[in-house]
Amino acid sequence: MKTNRQEFPGPTSTVTRLHTLCRALPIVVLALFVLQLQLFVPLAFAKSQTAEQWSLQIERVDPAGANLEPSFSAAIYENLLQELSKSKQFKQVFRSGDRNANDVSGLLVLKTVVEKYTAGSETRRAVTTISGATKLRVRVQLVTRDGHVVLEQTVAGNVRFIGSNLRVTHNLAHNIAKSLKQSALPQPTQETGKDSTLTP
Amino acid sequence: MNGNSITSRQTLSSNRWAGRGLACLVVVLCLGANSLGQTQNKSESSGAGSSIHVTHVLGFESAQHNAGGELIISGDALQFRRDGSIAAQVSVSSIQNISIGSEDDQVGGVPLMLGKTAVPFGGGRVVSLFTHKKYDSLTIEYLDPNGGFHGAIFRLNKGQGQTLKTGLIASGAHLPPQANPAEPQSTPEVKNENK
Repeated sequence: MKTNRQEFPGPTSTVTRLHTLCRALPIVVLALFVLQLQLFVPLAFAKSQTAEQWSLQIERVDPAGANLEPSFSAAIYENLLQELSKSKQFKQVFRSGDRNANDVSGLLVLKTVVEKYTAGSETRRAVTTISGATKLRVRVQLVTRDGHVVLEQTVAGNVRFIGSNLRVTHNLAHNIAKSLKQSALPQPTQETGKDSTLTP
Repeated sequence: MNGNSITSRQTLSSNRWAGRGLACLVVVLCLGANSLGQTQNKSESSGAGSSIHVTHVLGFESAQHNAGGELIISGDALQFRRDGSIAAQVSVSSIQNISIGSEDDQVGGVPLMLGKTAVPFGGGRVVSLFTHKKYDSLTIEYLDPNGGFHGAIFRLNKGQGQTLKTGLIASGAHLPPQANPAEPQSTPEVKNENK
């Protein structure tokens, strides 16, 4: 007696396939991880190595006509010092006017100019949620001693929900440090004290 | 039977008297504590330049952020003291600028914020309308011995900023010519957009 038997994969074969998949998956994940390491780590390492050869002097914040309270400009300056020192991107971080920076080779000067400032209100944020945000937008420049602009960026920071108005300065400084870390800086050439030239 | 009811009445009335007495005692104690606090505040604020309670927001390297303490002008030094010991100090003559601003912050911190979030039907927003307080913010810009620029920010009770500023000027703090010590700076909080 002939019966039309179709060959369906039985439950055992499905389990075997699943087993094979489960074994292959970690290998694929491992391969991807290694590939990612090979691609991105040398790049990041090179970037950080280049930046570590520079020292940084942070200039005072220029309000540039914006009706910025003195406490805000002081807070941006202090938070920048803290965030950029914490990021360990630069060899040394100096304050504006620090005489120790005079003899340092490979010095970049960070200039910060306020482009836009929207004063907010913590109470208004707490009551309405959607209004009362404090916003700051600044233009940052990295300049060598001889006035050559190495990097120019516009960075913003804001407080929309939780936190006092002054927290905007911390957020802004954090964003500036982050964007500086992500940007590629040129190699400083061998220089003697105050003059600095760049190699592209 | 009658004797029992009389004793229970007596106990009740004595309990009532004890309750009233306790309430009076609590009220008297509260009033006493309040007046004591007021006299202490008066003595602190009346001694202009001697000791003002502040919150150090940021700027003094050796002091913690948002730490409470006392600002004292002693001789040529402006000291920030915590628990009686000097947490940080700067020379008054190194001060380049002093500015006063006004802030309006929510009180209660994270616990109250979480509490407000837990209030149903958006009731927390209504609470926020009443849980804010105005402060003076004092910004002191000074130079360290290497010539490095520093900016320190303090939060004070409303009206105390000007007192401290006057005290610092009297002790020899330098101010730029355009800074008028008579007028505290205040910026409107909202609708202030500059391009």
